[in-house]
Amino acid sequence: MSTLTDPTRPAFTRPRAGYGPHGARVNREEALMRDVRPVGVWLGLACTVAVLVGGCGKGEGNAGGGGGSSTQGGTLKVGAALSLTGSLAKEGRLTKLGYQFCQDKVNGGDGVQAGDKTYKLAITYKDDKSEPDTAAQLVDQFNDSGNKLILGPYGSPSTEAASAVIERNGQVMVDSSGADNAIFDKGYRNTFAVLSPATSYLAAIVDAISENASPKPKTVAIISADDGFSKTAAKGGADEAKNQGMQVVAMEEVPEHTTNVSSALTKIRPKKPDLVLVSAHVEEGIAAVKQSKELGVNPKGFGETVAPPTPDFAKALGKNAEGVVGSTQWTADSKGQDKVFGTAKEYAEGFKQRFGETAEYHSAEAAAACLALVMGVEKAGSTDPAKVRDAIAGLDTESFFGPIKFDDTGKNADKPMSAIQIQNGEPVTIYPSDQAQAKLQWPAG
Amino acid sequence: MTQFLQATVNGLLQGGLLALVAVGFSLVWGVMNIVNLAHGAFVLIGSYIAWKLQTGADIAPLLGMVVAAAALFAGGYVIQRYLINLVVNAPIWMTLLLTFGLSLVLVNGLVLLFTGDFRSIHTSYGSDSLAIGDIRIPYGRLIAFVLAVGFTLALVWFMDRTRLGLAIKATGMDRGAARLMGVTVRRVYGLTFAIAAGLAGAAGAIYGTVDTFSPANAGIFTLQSFVIAVLGGLGNMWGALAGGLLLGVVQAWSGQYLGGTLINAVAFAVLVTVLVIRPAGLLGKPYYEARVEV
Repeated sequence: MSTLTDPTRPAFTRPRAGYGPHGARVNREEALMRDVRPVGVWLGLACTVAVLVGGCGKGEGNAGGGGGSSTQGGTLKVGAALSLTGSLAKEGRLTKLGYQFCQDKVNGGDGVQAGDKTYKLAITYKDDKSEPDTAAQLVDQFNDSGNKLILGPYGSPSTEAASAVIERNGQVMVDSSGADNAIFDKGYRNTFAVLSPATSYLAAIVDAISENASPKPKTVAIISADDGFSKTAAKGGADEAKNQGMQVVAMEEVPEHTTNVSSALTKIRPKKPDLVLVSAHVEEGIAAVKQSKELGVNPKGFGETVAPPTPDFAKALGKNAEGVVGSTQWTADSKGQDKVFGTAKEYAEGFKQRFGETAEYHSAEAAAACLALVMGVEKAGSTDPAKVRDAIAGLDTESFFGPIKFDDTGKNADKPMSAIQIQNGEPVTIYPSDQAQAKLQWPAG
Repeated sequence: MTQFLQATVNGLLQGGLLALVAVGFSLVWGVMNIVNLAHGAFVLIGSYIAWKLQTGADIAPLLGMVVAAAALFAGGYVIQRYLINLVVNAPIWMTLLLTFGLSLVLVNGLVLLFTGDFRSIHTSYGSDSLAIGDIRIPYGRLIAFVLAVGFTLALVWFMDRTRLGLAIKATGMDRGAARLMGVTVRRVYGLTFAIAAGLAGAAGAIYGTVDTFSPANAGIFTLQSFVIAVLGGLGNMWGALAGGLLLGVVQAWSGQYLGGTLINAVAFAVLVTVLVIRPAGLLGKPYYEARVEV
């Protein structure tokens, strides 16, 4: 029997004279408490279960490695480090659905045609636990096992961390959700983002409200989480508000991923802004609306970057979500089509059929990133990463996600953002006007 | 002045919520000398139980809180008896490893069961508040605050006025002597852990009515509980309440006057300052640091 004792503590379990470990006179309670029993066995069991459960999201699909993003077995091997657990598990899952849908559609169609060869797409997933450092390490591991073609992790911090590794290793990454402009200011050549940059998020909301609201809001207060993406988006929104003739009366920051934004709201309340803009993630976004009601902050309307289009937002807030405007990279009304997914509507129908869930933009941008990678390989006629990189840089095409054309920094700068508003519990497109399903309700809520 | 008062009210109400989350953690640490890293997961399980009861069976959150507390009480006893008890005498790193592993299992189990979606428990009073002049007191947070104080009072009464409570305190002070006095340490430990888990379950249910939650919150709950337990001090049932209220008010004031980004930096600066001046925490008793465990 193994025992563990702490030499710094008096040995509570130390046998006394006449009370040996197997002695008949040992008190039952003492016997139960005295020793640690096969701790190693129990801990080993607990840790094994922990690893098994924690790692359930890992290793799906074809295992990476071997011949790299090569032709082995007729598969095109692509790696993706995703937030399958941790604080971004929700968004990571949606991103994974987009990648999976792309793989299904490509393999269910013509496969990937590169030169005279046809490949099956095989995406390998690894869990970065919502940690940027881990995402970078996993991308490095993909390289070690020969995977040169990478689909982006979820979020700007992980994408930024991974892009440095991508550049060093000569890998190629199509980024599906890292929108912070800082990612593209570093001169990297091998990272391409299909989505509009961070500065567009709040700017699109300001444009949508400015174009459709009557009376047009005169004063704006902005709350931002203190991460890079949110701060960049807040600055883009403030600049656009000033361009539209509005006065920015407050800019407040809250800690990233907090659910308590009462300090920022208390500071904003006396300024009575017509419009409150929130540049943050889902949890801060939900808290901002909920606590505004609690604290009596009652603007004519709310605009938030990424939270309103996600189904959680309306579910968590109930009737308080009504009228909140959000920006989105994609809606089922977006213009454009491609040979893999067809139009945005066809994409949405196919997605619903495949997963039983309504398509939303996190998955759509992931599918678009995968599509850009596939198009790059097909245009290059090769799986050689350098050739694929050049081919992606030269893409100029339409897709269900909108235009895909990268500038010198790797941004898909010409892609427009859309704006939605929660009406009757559902997000409906209100901007741009040629895609709008409904008119902006103003004052909102 | 209005802003200062509003910030103070916000801080006190948030502090009450934090105290409610931390009180069980502080209890287990104080009595059993175990830093339970799975505490945040227990809180979350309470949130999910109340949420599921409301969305699935339309059971009111306050009733859901009772069910969550009862379920966690039973679960906590079993976990202590058959898992934690295995390492209760082992070095501290072993208890940390076990409870960390337990937390991983529980949190990832919640991800598998409920996905990583953000949830919230709706109440009819969720977005209403009591207006006193320009000061707003949200009903949901007020209820959480009252419950936090109520649970603390009940715990103090239980520990000071019942034989079982005195046995728990005695065991926390000197396990060997308690045993010599006829205390059944195994049961006391099981009961202590069960009470802590039950309080965590109740806290989770209440938390769900005023905030959003997802499995990723577990680590934050545990960290907050740790800070509050250290700040408030061990060995005194009022410690968690004092620590929670101090942390809440400090965060509210720093958010009001220094900017949102500095909230956590200021909170930890206050923690360090308190520990320099009072190493045992605000209300902690020094003998808990140097207690003899035989």
